[in-house]
Amino acid sequence: MTVAVLAPAIARPEANARDPYIIPQTGYSPDPVRPSKEHPFGTTEQQYDLFYGMVWGTRTAFKVALMVVASAVTVGILLGGAAGFYGGWVDEVLMRFTDVILAFPDLVLAVVIVAVTGPSLEHVMYSVMAVSWPSYARLMRGDVLSVKERDFVAAARALGASDARILLRHIVPNAIYPVLVVASLSMGRIVITAAALSFLGLGSPVGYADWGQLISLSRNWILGSSGNPFAYWHTVAIPGAAIFLFVLGWNLLGDAVRDILDPRQK
Amino acid sequence: MLRYILKRLAFLPLVVFGVTALLFLCLQFLSPEMRASLYIKDPRQLSQIESVIEKYGLRKPMPVQYALWLKEVAHGELGYSETAKMPVSEAIRAFFPATFELTLISFIPIMITGIYFGVLSAVHRDKFIDHFTRFVAITGYSLPSFVLGLLLLMVFYGKLHWLPPGRYTLETDMLVHAEGFRHWTGILTFDCLLNGEWAAYVDVVKHMLLPAATLLYISVALLLRITRSSMLEELSKDYVRTARAKGLPENVVIYKHALANALIPVVTLASLLFIGLLGGVVITETVFDFPGIGRWGVQAAQQLDVPGVLGATMLAAFLFVTANLASDILYAVVDPRIRVGD
Amino acid sequence: MLRILMSAVLAVGALPAAARSASKNPGIFTYLTIADADSVDPAWAYDTASGLVILNVYEPLFQYDGTSTEKLLPLIAEKVPSRDNGLISPDGRTYTIPLRKGIKFHDGSPMTAEDVRWSLLRFLLVDRAAGPSSLLLEPLVGYPSTRGDDGEILAHVWNDVNRAVTLRGDDIVLRLPRPYAPLLSILAAWAPVLPKAWAGKNGDWDGGEASWHKFNDPSKETSPFFDKANGTGPFKLERWDRKTKEFLLTRNDRYWRAPAKLQTVVIKSVSEFGTRKLMLQAGDADTIYADRPLISQLQDIPGITVLDDQPTVEMNPVVFFTYRINQVANAFVGSGRLDGAGIPLDFFSDKDVRKGFAHAFDFKGFLADVMRGKGTQATGAIPKSLPGHDPNGRTYRFDLKKAEEHFRKAWGGQAWEKGFKFTIAFNSGNLPRQTVCQILKRNVEALNPKFKIDVRAVEWPTFLDAYKASKLPVFVMGWHADYPDPHNFAFPLLHSKGDYPATQKFKDPEFDRLIDAANAETDPSKRKQIYAQLQALEFEEAPHLVIVDAVRYRTQRDWVKGWFNNPIFPDSPYGSYFYTLSKD
Repeated sequence: MTVAVLAPAIARPEANARDPYIIPQTGYSPDPVRPSKEHPFGTTEQQYDLFYGMVWGTRTAFKVALMVVASAVTVGILLGGAAGFYGGWVDEVLMRFTDVILAFPDLVLAVVIVAVTGPSLEHVMYSVMAVSWPSYARLMRGDVLSVKERDFVAAARALGASDARILLRHIVPNAIYPVLVVASLSMGRIVITAAALSFLGLGSPVGYADWGQLISLSRNWILGSSGNPFAYWHTVAIPGAAIFLFVLGWNLLGDAVRDILDPRQK
Repeated sequence: MLRYILKRLAFLPLVVFGVTALLFLCLQFLSPEMRASLYIKDPRQLSQIESVIEKYGLRKPMPVQYALWLKEVAHGELGYSETAKMPVSEAIRAFFPATFELTLISFIPIMITGIYFGVLSAVHRDKFIDHFTRFVAITGYSLPSFVLGLLLLMVFYGKLHWLPPGRYTLETDMLVHAEGFRHWTGILTFDCLLNGEWAAYVDVVKHMLLPAATLLYISVALLLRITRSSMLEELSKDYVRTARAKGLPENVVIYKHALANALIPVVTLASLLFIGLLGGVVITETVFDFPGIGRWGVQAAQQLDVPGVLGATMLAAFLFVTANLASDILYAVVDPRIRVGD
Repeated sequence: MLRILMSAVLAVGALPAAARSASKNPGIFTYLTIADADSVDPAWAYDTASGLVILNVYEPLFQYDGTSTEKLLPLIAEKVPSRDNGLISPDGRTYTIPLRKGIKFHDGSPMTAEDVRWSLLRFLLVDRAAGPSSLLLEPLVGYPSTRGDDGEILAHVWNDVNRAVTLRGDDIVLRLPRPYAPLLSILAAWAPVLPKAWAGKNGDWDGGEASWHKFNDPSKETSPFFDKANGTGPFKLERWDRKTKEFLLTRNDRYWRAPAKLQTVVIKSVSEFGTRKLMLQAGDADTIYADRPLISQLQDIPGITVLDDQPTVEMNPVVFFTYRINQVANAFVGSGRLDGAGIPLDFFSDKDVRKGFAHAFDFKGFLADVMRGKGTQATGAIPKSLPGHDPNGRTYRFDLKKAEEHFRKAWGGQAWEKGFKFTIAFNSGNLPRQTVCQILKRNVEALNPKFKIDVRAVEWPTFLDAYKASKLPVFVMGWHADYPDPHNFAFPLLHSKGDYPATQKFKDPEFDRLIDAANAETDPSKRKQIYAQLQALEFEEAPHLVIVDAVRYRTQRDWVKGWFNNPIFPDSPYGSYFYTLSKD
């Protein structure tokens, strides 16, 4: 988080750069170079500075993950909650709609969207958002269905609470954990999705500071050179470690949130 | 129950229609030149874009093309996929069994490992085993599949020469294409067994182990985590406390009472996971050179091979509806409180 | 887990590589590529992957002699026509080609002169959209397509092709509307011999006038030649498995020359480099496709040889300037005016602008970094491997002072004063082309802070769209030869009717005159002179910027013997003519 905020101070963009997210290049040689004084994390193929990429990539990761997951979860909770709670035709219509979206193999839809609109980080974000909200909706609906039958809901209803109150006050808080748990995991997963798209040549533009792209730049160098499998270790290990920490962090956060929200588990 | 199943199946055409209509909506924005790119691959062909557009009727507006396509579908024709170099129906028959096989061979271990370790983790919350399994699962989760795939390939093929990439060796290739070999099911492992070709069976399975292991490692974390959290929640509930207070053995409490309830969200996730695996094998298939549906679908999407994309999505829609149905039925089985059929 | 895995890798990595002297899978040769073949129908295929299969299964009239792109050997023909042996008429318009006897197709049926005539006609008449037929239509009938602009079949085509291709006894006679120097070179690469009777039996064109319309511009999968083959070549096509993307070729034991040494050839598409490399290392592949940037990963591997400096017949990458940009909805030109926030639509019609760019390109840096020091700076549109290339021609040199001089002069000084902004495009995924754009951007922007260039990777579909409409101010593409003749470069790159100039809206009568003259000239030394003139003119005008005469490298197992490279073979140097190969 700190790194994301302080990115401009830690890794200064080049003087004439117009977009600070574009990683500076020191030449065009295809071979990655190991860490040195000048490049503390070394360079990737095409001589993109890995340190700069990692620092600015932190921002990208937070930006993308937060926006995508937050909007997908919001939509998912609202629609899934409504579907589960009201049942009947509301449920029917909403669930059929999620069916349609979910029935898309997500990469195929993402690829089509990107192919039509042109590859850019934003388009990737939209497409991931578009395909990810329905799973939250379904998860939410499943939980609402089971929570709805519980005694405390019946009690609230008997006491004459309004639908909205029951939904927001009683059902959502009790049904939300699996959604949040999945969401916290998905945060990290977004970066991997970006890597998959970069692997297919569709992610953010080449040279954009994005962990997913940085790790897919390592693709051809994972095997190392003859007799030395670790010749280019840094191209995989550094972005890999960053993604791992990112995922782990969200996991722990997810656990913490869960413990706070759910006093019964103390 | 039967009526419910039929009703759900009746939604299939609806979902297929929705999916394809949505797709056409996206493709609406393409120019004829962009779609001609499917046929023009080399600068040497650039001057003839116009004749290609003419030949394949790419100038017709998308709604018209959609109507034409629907008409073809009504006649049982799905068109010709340029990326697969074969008719769409044939492509589905060619690619789907391989992916299905791969998904199946990894899905069952994923379920078992995910649920087993999820429960273990929940029961031993905050103990070493809990931290360790979660740590291992997250490493898999945070690695892109091509990294893991290439590393596995390097060790088990490059160094140990045990598990080669591809679908089968040249001998098996010859064998399955020979006259006497009958393709009963289209699923190669089954066919090998049915033909009594034990060596070929072993060969085919050997070729699937690495991709399956990759899929297992990268996708088990989600299931594990859901199981764990769901289990923790159940374990803290009153009925568990009551059961424990009644002096029931801990195993009975955990596996008979808590687990049954904890599996509800897991079931939802499992059906999604299965579908996700079918679509998400693209990269695994690429790295292990495995001829499956994921690679075809994405290639078709990348090259704007419209019949190809439609075919792949239709298949996905079909699978999705089926898997969903299965999960709904399972719901009813694991949680009798949920009514199915109204 | 990762650490455990890594240490496992380390442990096994330390083991000595098993020393194997004899080859794995003797008699079976495996080539791993990345390309997907399109169709093995010789009248349809226009891609290298299909071309490679056709090269080994079918046989054209002539063949290039070993590594030469100039000297021809007879194959189906018995002799190579020339003026000296009297088989080319003095006016250069009639070619008489005697045919070899005793050749059999793979199905055992004997090849006849009628098969040859029919095969040539079929090649001309199939004429699928964006296919190779125009390569022979142009010299034999004088126009590039069997269809008019309205897409309708031209009425006179049937008569024209039948007048051009005739039989005299067992000889094929070709009559040209005008002399066409590269004809034999084209016939050595295209239109191999197919069996007429087999075709008729399997539902392809039977040679009749009544039915040929039906087979004009067909859907490719309707032809029996699409995925089956019955040729005269050293290998038979056993199977094309489109599911596993694999061709299986087996030896033709009844080949009219000595049978090939290899029994089986597998050509398989494996898109992931790491997988290909591991298969080569394990000996399961004998040669693989790998491009220049990856060479460092293939050197010094025991059992694997890297053969570098293989010549090519391509000009790639080339920076093209568009003289008149299309203004419709164009995001590439900024404001569309010379106000510092865009460029006017005819910005690149000013010679000084183009020369400014030419001098701002760091050729040495590109060769060193991208080509890893291999290859040489190109001197013109015609590559080094072909006659007509003038090695002593003038070339642009990286000189920022000169670049500045030109930019100061451009547009009466306005360009320098106001500055400009536009976008250079390349098709995404192509690293060398991307680097060309980046080098230009960096150097030109350094000249004047008011110069702004954006580099944009464009997906192929979008690229085509913008390319066709002449929306791209500057774009980077390349050209790969159809046949090894200078005309195949001069025309598409410099003639106003050629593919690129038509899009650039570049038109110069002097260029057209020289190119047409050289094409009609059958005296090689006079031709060379005209091409040298053309090259000098090209340097002066700079309608595009050629960069490198590239070389490629091949990696193969040590046990592969008998390989030679002819740069015109499809997919050279990775794919090859398998007839001469063996494994020990």
